[in-house]
Amino acid sequence: MAKILIVDDEPHLRLLYETELRRAGYETMTASNAEQGLEYVETMHPDLVILDIRMAGMDGIEALQRILDMDNTLPVILNTAYSSYRENYLTWSADAYITKSSDTTELLVKVKELLDAKMVES
Amino acid sequence: MTKLRPTEEVADLARRGLAACRVPQLIVDEQWTVVLVSEGACRLFGRSREQMEGTALESLVSSLDVFAGCGHRTCPPEGCFRQLDLKLRNATTAVELHCERFRDAAGHPFLNLVLYDAGELATRDAMRTARISKLGLLNQVSEALYGAQLSLPQVLESVLIAMTAGQGLRFNRAFLLLVDERTRTLRGEIAIGPSSREEADRIWRDLADQPTDLYEMMTSYDLSLKETDVAVNNIVRNLKVDLAEDDHVLIQAMHSRRVLHVSEKDSGPGLDAVRHWLGVGRFAVAPLATRRGSIGVLIADNAISGLEITELDLEFLQLFANQSANAIESSRLTEELARKVLDLRKAQQKQKEDQQTLLRMERLSVMGETSAIVAHELRNPLVAIGGFARTLLRNLTEDDPNRQFAQIITEEVGRLERIIHDLLDFIRPQKMMRRNLPPDQIVQEIARKMHLTLEHASVALDLDLKAGDVEVNCHPGEIQQVLQNLTLNAIQAQPDGGRIRISSRVLEGGVLIQVADRGPGLAKDVAEKMFSPFFTTKTAGSGLGLTICVQIIRAHGGVLRGENLPEGGACFSFILPRPKPEGENGE
Repeated sequence: MAKILIVDDEPHLRLLYETELRRAGYETMTASNAEQGLEYVETMHPDLVILDIRMAGMDGIEALQRILDMDNTLPVILNTAYSSYRENYLTWSADAYITKSSDTTELLVKVKELLDAKMVES
Repeated sequence: MTKLRPTEEVADLARRGLAACRVPQLIVDEQWTVVLVSEGACRLFGRSREQMEGTALESLVSSLDVFAGCGHRTCPPEGCFRQLDLKLRNATTAVELHCERFRDAAGHPFLNLVLYDAGELATRDAMRTARISKLGLLNQVSEALYGAQLSLPQVLESVLIAMTAGQGLRFNRAFLLLVDERTRTLRGEIAIGPSSREEADRIWRDLADQPTDLYEMMTSYDLSLKETDVAVNNIVRNLKVDLAEDDHVLIQAMHSRRVLHVSEKDSGPGLDAVRHWLGVGRFAVAPLATRRGSIGVLIADNAISGLEITELDLEFLQLFANQSANAIESSRLTEELARKVLDLRKAQQKQKEDQQTLLRMERLSVMGETSAIVAHELRNPLVAIGGFARTLLRNLTEDDPNRQFAQIITEEVGRLERIIHDLLDFIRPQKMMRRNLPPDQIVQEIARKMHLTLEHASVALDLDLKAGDVEVNCHPGEIQQVLQNLTLNAIQAQPDGGRIRISSRVLEGGVLIQVADRGPGLAKDVAEKMFSPFFTTKTAGSGLGLTICVQIIRAHGGVLRGENLPEGGACFSFILPRPKPEGENGE
């Protein structure tokens, strides 16, 4: 079963994504800030990361670079309330960019797509 | 009385001066013996100097009675003036006598008798009267030209009326030529005058019913209403001389600042051409000179009556031309001033509008920044609320009474999220990443994307795409958004289903895209306001849709137009620009 790491500083959103992903059949783990997220990537080897951008402390863009430095085959989805980060080229190395919505369909579709692709590669 | 003590030389000079004088003049002594006569006196009396000097005055005139009252004692010190009939030989001549007393160095009394020929004086008086009358006329002209606030064409007409009117300068025909700075020519402007004797008679008869006061005539007589003057105006329109032709008679006359009288005998460059134009040999040309330079000429002739143009005519033509030139110049300056004032007002108005626009934009910008912060802050809690409402909805059974409430939360959060999405899109600075691509492709993409939405709303989509492979330079994502917004509007304008037609057509500068529906069309107040932010007639949506479209199309250098179709329904259209030639294609 694929392990998904959710990095978001909003506890309610972490809970929402956890609920939705588990219902879809994934194993989840959550981190409330970027530093903790990086630690989990290193120690718990998730199959995919869902990363918020605007967080207290290290932001998602920096976290993205660090994750890719560690493992550039790890799929990362940037999930943010700010659609304007899409213009920032530093976000372009992420595998997907999703604007947060109460309808999680897009997120779930993207997660599945990326994991399927990863499976084919490996 | 001053006693004269001249030197011999001076006395001799005075004697010779008097002798040569053309005015009849006699000096007589106390015994009325003629001492000295002038040349004029010899002529008047028909005798030689020798015959007259030394003889008694009585022998020259039939009776000395005519001089009664001019005696050596009776004449007043300042002299006297009287009219008398002088019987000379067989004829009687009316003269005016001026008598003056004086004494010579030795104290002997003398009388100086000056006799003016009354006939000659009458001619001179007539001249003076004519001058005064013409000066009065000039005054009237001046009042009309300056006082009546005439427009430039009216001034030009008035000048010509004054030149030809019976109460005016009495020329038969008058032509006005002005310098055209644009073409650097002296060009015929307007003319007045009959083309034939018959027409002249008719006009003069008509004029008997016209106002007799020149001022009234100049300010009320409308040349344009008359069918006369056609021939002369045809002549004047053909009058055109290049300003560079320095030696041309008209150009010379214009720069000479003096009125020019041309007779049949004269010759010179361009003269024959002017004679040919006018159809006469004799005419007068007066320069229209102002302080700023020559602005044209007036040409006058007596083509119909054949009357000689007199010195007096020329003298007044000159004065009149000066006045006309200043009136024309002043009228031109006034008009120019009025134009400038208007331009200035327009510029001020524009500046005011620009300022208001700027203020509005500034307000919008501040509002936009604030909105962006608020919108982002709202997004996270909304995602949580809406997300869990969906979870709840899924977990509740079909017959659970709370299901409806969860449904409402889901829908309302969805609505709020759409508002935030629209708002953030609206205030996000547009980053232009343009590409060259066929617009038909974008339309087809939208048709594919909106397929389900259209089906759900029972709206059929007709595509009439004629752009083919023709490419435009645009931001595909933004144009997709425009088409999507317009299509959504069109769907909502037809709540009970209908048709939407998206068409494309190649124009010279780009490709025209139109989205038309068969809804009720745009109401007038809607048409005016629909492009302003937050205006909406829909019950769902934020009202930012059309404003975003307007902004996007404007950023593409076009205009989004909304109009009602004659067959019913609304139609939105915009033009996408063709790609710029290689090398100019920048961000």
